[in-house]
This record gives sequence, structure tokens and C-alpha cells, in this order.
Amino acid sequence: MPNYFNSLSLRDQLAQLGRCEFMDQSEFEDEAGYLKNKQLVIVGCGSQGLNQGLNLRDSGLTVAFALRDSAISERRASWVNATENGFDVGTYNELIPQADLVLNLTPDKQHTSVVREIMPLMKKHSCLSYSHGFNIVEEGMEIREDITVIMVAPKCPGTEVREEYKRGFGVPTLIAVHEENDPLGEGLNIAKAYAAGTGGHRAGVLMSSFVAEVKSDLMGEQTILCGMLQTGSLLCFDKMVQKGVDRGYASKLVQFGWETITEALKHGGITNMMDRLSNPAKIKAYELSEELKTIMRPLYEKHMDDIMTGDFSSGMMEDWAKDDHKLLSWRDETSHTEFETADNTTDEISEQEYFDNGILMVAMVKAGVELAFEVMTASGIKEESAYYESLHETPLIANTIARKKLYEMNRTISDTAEYGCYLFNHACFTLLKDFMEKQDSDVIGRGLGLNDYGTDNQHLISVNSSIRDHSVELIGKKLRGYMGAMKKVL
Amino acid sequence: MIIFENATVTIDGRKSLEQLNWEIESGDCWAIVGPNGSGKALLLESLSNNGKILTGVGKNLAKRIGIVSLHEQERLIVREAERDDSDLTDQIFSGTSVQELLDESSLDLKLQRDLTKSLRLDSLLYKGFRKLSTGESKKVLLAKALLGYPDLLLLEDPLEGFDQNSSAEVTALLEKNSLSTTQIYSVSRIKDIPSWTNNVICLDSHRVIRKFSCNNGEDAKRFLSSITRMGSKQVALPVPPEKRPIRLNNDNSLVNIKNGKVGYLGHTVFEDLDLVINPGSHWQITGPNGSGKTTLLNLITGDHPQSYVNDISIFGYSKGGGETIWDIKRHLGFISNALHWQHRLTASARNVIISGFFDSIGLYAKPSGHHVRIADAWLNLIGMEKQRNARFSELSFGYQRLLLICRAMVKHPSLLLLDEPCRGLDEANRELVLALVSRLCTDGNTTIVYVSHELEDIVPQITNHLDLGDLE
Ligand SMILES: NC(=O)c1ccc[n+]([C@@H]2O[C@H](COP(=O)([O-])OP(=O)(O)OC[C@H]3O[C@@H](n4cnc5c(N)ncnc54)[C@H](OP(=O)(O)O)[C@@H]3O)[C@@H](O)[C@H]2O)c1
Ligand SMILES: Nc1ncnc2c1ncn2[C@@H]1O[C@H](COP(=O)(O)OP(=O)(O)O)[C@@H](O)[C@H]1O
Ligand SMILES: [Mg+2]
Repeated sequence: MPNYFNSLSLRDQLAQLGRCEFMDQSEFEDEAGYLKNKQLVIVGCGSQGLNQGLNLRDSGLTVAFALRDSAISERRASWVNATENGFDVGTYNELIPQADLVLNLTPDKQHTSVVREIMPLMKKHSCLSYSHGFNIVEEGMEIREDITVIMVAPKCPGTEVREEYKRGFGVPTLIAVHEENDPLGEGLNIAKAYAAGTGGHRAGVLMSSFVAEVKSDLMGEQTILCGMLQTGSLLCFDKMVQKGVDRGYASKLVQFGWETITEALKHGGITNMMDRLSNPAKIKAYELSEELKTIMRPLYEKHMDDIMTGDFSSGMMEDWAKDDHKLLSWRDETSHTEFETADNTTDEISEQEYFDNGILMVAMVKAGVELAFEVMTASGIKEESAYYESLHETPLIANTIARKKLYEMNRTISDTAEYGCYLFNHACFTLLKDFMEKQDSDVIGRGLGLNDYGTDNQHLISVNSSIRDHSVELIGKKLRGYMGAMKKVL
Repeated sequence: MIIFENATVTIDGRKSLEQLNWEIESGDCWAIVGPNGSGKALLLESLSNNGKILTGVGKNLAKRIGIVSLHEQERLIVREAERDDSDLTDQIFSGTSVQELLDESSLDLKLQRDLTKSLRLDSLLYKGFRKLSTGESKKVLLAKALLGYPDLLLLEDPLEGFDQNSSAEVTALLEKNSLSTTQIYSVSRIKDIPSWTNNVICLDSHRVIRKFSCNNGEDAKRFLSSITRMGSKQVALPVPPEKRPIRLNNDNSLVNIKNGKVGYLGHTVFEDLDLVINPGSHWQITGPNGSGKTTLLNLITGDHPQSYVNDISIFGYSKGGGETIWDIKRHLGFISNALHWQHRLTASARNVIISGFFDSIGLYAKPSGHHVRIADAWLNLIGMEKQRNARFSELSFGYQRLLLICRAMVKHPSLLLLDEPCRGLDEANRELVLALVSRLCTDGNTTIVYVSHELEDIVPQITNHLDLGDLE
């Protein structure tokens, strides 16, 4: 199958890449009404499938689960989940032919085979939806002409999609209609109703395109989200150990540091994250991040280019065809790194200490977020998409590292993210060698330890405004504003 | 065994007890008493070495401390949430089982057997902690505490939430334990002071106001009752901003459950349950721990997934027939222990009350001036006007509970579901809450379903009675 994006004219490529608008609340007055009395069938009952299904049902829609035969006969987790929650469960043959809307919520790598199997069973003029567009855009999957194809992608893990709904809220959600497949012109109405059914409309819905979603998602996950945090973890840990910082301390500072500092990012953007540092530390972090940006920019650009040309996906799909040979060996490599195998100290590290002793980590987050955002927007991706795929998602991956370190983080994120993360990491690790040589434990591990925290006013003002006036900060402020007051819950 | 001299103790670096002078001899049995918000839970935390001594002396020579408290329960719930990686791994997290929890304390199989037998935990050993009912999980905490051979046992309202049989069993167990262990009880109600108590410490506003010794618990109760005054409560309820018309089913009922059944793989909680709730006829639901009281209320709210496979009519909707969960919640007020645990919020006290208008956990909409005025009237009613901007998560459990009760009542819902509402409340606040419930009953627009084990907590207007123990 040819890559869909590459089959478009430059004009269409740019048009689709550049689509992403925040939708007005008034667009959702009918909530899930458009799908009332329609039969929804979800394929796959994993993290997204189960939780979206529970929300859609609580929104008054009729939901059933179609699982592959083996899941039913072996009573696998997906079957138990769907059944104990009181859903109708059946095979493709039993359920797909009745469906008005089929929600494909299987792992991305399985999409080609799953869609090939269910498409012939789908009734005329029904609708197929995805929560991620890789299959359509990168694998070029072509869907029967009479079928409407849409995307509704919650920008959070499934459990959060459910928890937020139960609170009476939702998670930000991206929707799109596949231009090639909107025979009845109802794609947008279905996507809006589906998004509202999951509660997404309460937190904000972005109207985008399959192309913009896929290209920005790939870029975000392999550079700042997974790649940068992986490389940063390894480099920071090794540097601390080299400088005589206790291994257990170094391991803990890195493992939980990302989460702590990006919590500040989540609430108030890069500005707030930087404001958590003392003035001299902030200036230091700023200088480091500028240097990092200069060094890493070509690498970020290369990733963006490979994603745009499709080289990234075709390379990855070659590896899929070889049973993930490269991916598995890289995964194995990760499990043997010094950082991964170190045990954490049991000593407390206070919240503020993660900032004070993690100046370099703050600089890496700032550089990574800004670079990913700058490179994406320079390639025709709208600021809204770029924001969600960089800054917004960083705390989610940081949380995974806090819970599981790198090996498990990689195993549990998507296949595309994991493959891209390793590619980035290999290149970036080498790229930052000279830079890291120059660093000492004052920026990572021990803090500046100054006697005098005095600062030059003019210098501080110029650093502050450079941080605050970055376009990721301006758009971030606007989008976070839509989401209402940030709530800290468990 | 324990000495505090002029100590200032803080928990979480914020809340503190001041000028604490207290000496506890080994073998003593103390009762800590005081109104909601007086610092009882903090004192218990300090005794379990979770506090930090800022000034003065604090020495605790206990080697093994057992604790049964809401804080302890919260710690386990939070730990379960941390262990739950189902969002990452796509594996079902069945939770830490009761057996595993007991094993954490001690592998002494004989003692484990004795305790699971006397607390009737046998059928629960392989269940995950989060699935347990309130009473069941408290029994597990108690077994866990006793398994550690404590020389100091700290117990917060140990009998609260237990059915009659369980109460008797637990009392017997604790009395026996008191012969060999120093015990310290924190009790919300004077009546819960155990009969073998020989010392009492009274708190108010985070300070010790009195300490005395007594021959037994009855002595202490008599004395304390003589110095506390209880006036009967006359309350007027703040009116809601809008009257929402009551929606009825075809048979003019609010709720009609036919052949209700809930079960999990290989275990039925209840079946063949028929319940019709007509407007104005109020219900009390009783039944032993684990008999399905909370489950039944969750079927009504729609929070239980099996509500979709039951024959339930509610507010004119046939459940699963296209209504949204919010269509139902609009007409409902609700409080339960699970809802309380879900409220780990930094939202302000006032906003928690206002969230009752939106049926949300936390507030996501901008409240109107009218909402704010009504919330403030409720805050006045419960005597919390000064705490209106305090963060919910930093208030004591009893204050949180009062706020959640106001949240449930604020819109004068058609149906008010109260699942053990008075947990953790002192006498005065229980009386206040019961007066509020009684008032709502007579106002005519609200029908009440009330779950409680406490025989004393009676609302005269509630005349219908469903005992889930009778179903079996
Ligand atoms: N996780 C996120 O944070 C997130 C966020 C937004 C969007 N998405 C998107 O949502 C979709 C689903 O992701 P997910 O994380 O929910 O996946 P997941 O948790 O891995 O679940 C996938 C489900 O599909 C079933 N499945 C696996 N292989 C299959 C096959 N060959 N045929 C049929 N069914 C199969 C599995 O059940 P059995 O093995 O028992 O059959 C499993 O229940 C993906 O497109 C993903 O990109 C995910
Ligand atoms: N997900 C679940 N899986 C298995 N058992 C459960 C689950 N949830 C609740 N239970 C069990 O259902 C029974 C009824 O619980 P509940 O309604 O909370 O009791 P109570 O009458 O004390 O309120 C308890 O024995 C509890 O352990
Ligand atoms: Mg209960």
C-alpha cells in the first residue's frame, strides 16, 4: 500500500498538515445526540477500548464489543473486562454486520490485518473510526468508498479518559474526518458526537486532519517525549556517577525528577518550570538549553524530515516484517543500562530539590519541548497540534518513567514511539558527548551551592522575556486556559 | 511507654498539635475524645510516629505499633492506586489480595487462622483490597494490625461501620487484646468508649484540655456526658436556586428494580431483589457487612456497570434505554465512602458544596453568584463559614464529610442516597445531619434512601425498611 501522505499534491499536503482548530463549545450542544439509537461496536477491549466504551455507554449510546475469536475462547483479559462490565461481547461475524459505527481500538501494528478482516463485514454506509491515524496515513490503508472514516483521539491514557469522565469532566481530544472517505458528508457530525460521548468536549476538542495528527504525533513521541527523556536519563545518571554522586541518589533524582519538574510544566508551561529555579539556576538552565538547542536542532530536523518523507515508517515497517529484530535488540540494550539497573536510595528527595539539583534536566526539557515545537511549526504543522504533541504530553511519559524507569516505559508506549525513541537516543547520545564532557555536578546532582544568589536585573529580565515570549508559551497559555482551572487529583 | 513534654508535633508539615504533655504507661487503655476538627486523628498519627516533633520532647518506646484508622486505610488505597499499572500494561489489576496483606504483617499461620476465623474473613482471602466493602476492609486492617503482635494498638472508631455481629466479635477480640497490649482509642462518640478504658484525654482546637483517669468506660461516659451539653437542633435549609420537577416512572415510582442481581465470577452478591421507591416514602437499608447495600445504591446511581444488565426504571427512564448518566444524576444526591475517597481534591470547601449543582467531583464550571450565596448559607449551617476557602484535602475527615453531605443536599434532589453518611462525625454533627435529613423528608420534594448500622441514628420519617440479610 502506498504512503497516503506521499500520494497527495504539495498543496494538499500543506492544507492537511496545517489543519488544527480549537472548536467552540457551541458545536457540541447536541452532545452525543447524533449517535443515539445507532449501534456502536468496538473492536478490541484494551485500555482505550474499555474506557471509551464505558463513557460512551454512560452517555446514552449502545455499545458492544467485537473481539477476535481467540480472546473469547481463551477468556483473555479483554473478554473478562468487557463481560464483567456488562457489555455484549461477540465475534466479528456476529457484531460487525449490525454496526453503524465500528471503533477500531486495537494496537496500531495490527490495524492492517484487523481492518482487512472487518471491512468486508461492515454494512453499507457505516462508519469506521480510529484513535490514531497511522494505518491510514503511513500504511496507506484504503477503505471501501461507501464507508465514512473518522478519527477521535483522546490525548490521554484510557484510564484517565474514564476517571475524568466520572468526575464530570473529560480529556482534550482531537478529531478528524478522512477526506477520501466522507461519502455522506456526515463524518464531522459523527466525530463530534463520539468525542462528546467520551466527555472530550468538556475539556476541549481540536478539529484536525489524519495527516496532521500522525505527523505531529510521530514527531513528538520520538523526539521530546520518549527520545529526549531516555537520552537525558542515561546521560544525567552517568554524569552524576562519574562525578562521585551516590548511585542510589542519582538513580532516584533522574527517575522521579522528570515527573516532578514536568508537573510544573503541566500547570504553567516552561515559564513556570523555569520559575521554580533560583535566579542564578534559571539563568544557568537557560544558557544550557540554548546550547543544547543549537547542538540538537539538526537531529530534530532530521527526524521531522524522515517522518515527512515516510522514510521513518518504511524503515520501521521493514523491522516489523523481520519480527522486530532491531526493536527487540534495542529494548534489550535499554534493560542493561547503568541507570536501569541501579537501585534507588531510600532517602527522601524534596520536591524543590529535584529542581535545584536537576538544572540540566530542566534545561533538557526546555530545549526538547521548544525544538520539537519549532521544528513542527516550521514544517507546516499548526501550533495547536505542535503544543499537544510536545509540551502537553511530556508529563505523561515522565510519569511512566517515574513508575517504571526506561525499559518498561518503552515496552508500554506504542510500537511507533518505542522504535522512534531508540533511533533518536542512539543519535542523540553521541551528539551530546562533547557537551556532556564539559558539565559538572553543579548542574546535575549537587546544585549550584552558591553563597550569593544575587543576579543582574537586566540579564534576568532578558532571560525571562525570552522564556515567556516563546510561541509555545503563548499558545500553551491559551489552550490551558480553555481547560479551566488545573486540578491536582491523585 | 510514651512521653510527650511540651511538644509541638506536625503532620505533613502543616497541621500541628501544640503544648502536648502526655504520659502513657504500658498496659494502659486510653480514649481520645473531642469534637470534629479537634485534632484526634493528628494525635493518633503522632503516636504512630508519623509526625515530626518541632519543639519539646516526644519519646515512644513502643516496638511494634498496630493501627486501624482512616489514614491507614487511605494509605492502603493510595498504595493500591500506585500499584495499579493497568493504564500502562493493559493487564487487569486485581489488586493486592487480603491474604497478601495479612502476609505482610506476619506469616504466623496459626494466628492468621485464628483471626480470619473470628473476623470471618475466610471467603475474602483471595479478593483484592479495593473490592472489599467498607466493613470488610476495616476488618482486614484490624487483622493486619493484630497480626503484627503490637505492643501499642491505635484504633480510630474501631466499631464504626460494623454490623451487629461483627461489632460484638471485634469487641471481644479487643477486650482480650487489652490484657496484653497498650491500647489507645480515638472515638467520635462518647458511647463508643470501650468498657475497659482507664484513662481519657480530651482535645479541643488541637490542644489538650483535660486528662483524667477512670475506673472503667462507663464511669468515663457518665462524666463526659455530664460536662457536654446537647441542645436539640432546629434547622432551616437553604433553598435551591431552581426547582427541578420530579420525574416519575409509568407506575409513578422514582425507582423500580425488578429481579435485581449483581454477581462477580463465581460469587453472587444478591439476586431476586425487588425494590420500588415511591416519592415521599423513605427507606432505610440494612444488612450485614458485604450484603450489598452499597452495591444496591450504585445500581441506582448507575455507577455500577451491572446496572446496564438489570431491569431498572428510574426517573422515567428505562436504564440503558438511551439516557445519559448525567440525566439521572441531575435528580440525585449521593454520599458514600467511595465518593469520599474519590474526593482527593485541592478544591475549596465552598466549591465542593457548589459542585453538587453540577454533579461533578471538583468544580469545572464557573459558579454563579447565586450558587455562591447558597453554598455560604450551607457553610453557616454546619458552622464552617470560616473555612470556606480552605482546601478540601487539608480539612479533617469529619469536616470533609459534612461538606460532602451538604454537596449531596444542596440542590434538594428528588432522591437522596445516603450510604453511612455519619461516618466519622461527632455527636453534635450527627445530630445536625439527622436533623437536616429529617427536614428534607418533611419538605416533600426529596425521597431518602438511608444506609446505617447505628441503631441510634434514627430519622423518624423513614418508615420503610429493606434488610439485605433477609434476602439470603
Ligand atoms: N494508550 C493510549 O494512551 C492511547 C491514546 C490515544 C490513542 N490510542 C490509540 O488507541 C488504539 C488502541 O490502543 P490501546 O492502547 O488501547 O491498545 P491496547 O491497550 O494494547 O489494547 C488493544 C486491544 O486489542 C486487542 N488486540 C490485540 N491484537 C489484536 C488483533 N490482532 N486483532 C484483534 N484484536 C487485537 C487486545 O485484546 P486481545 O489480545 O485479548 O484480543 C487488546 O484488548 C491505538 O490505535 C492507539 O494508538 C492510544
Ligand atoms: N469487583 C468486585 N469483585 C468481587 N467482589 C466484589 C466486587 N465489588 C464488590 N464486591 C463484593 O460485593 C459484596 C457487597 O459489597 P458492598 O455492597 O460494598 O457491601 P455493603 O453491604 O457492606 O455495603 C462484598 O462482599 C464485596 O467484597
Ligand atoms: Mg457499604
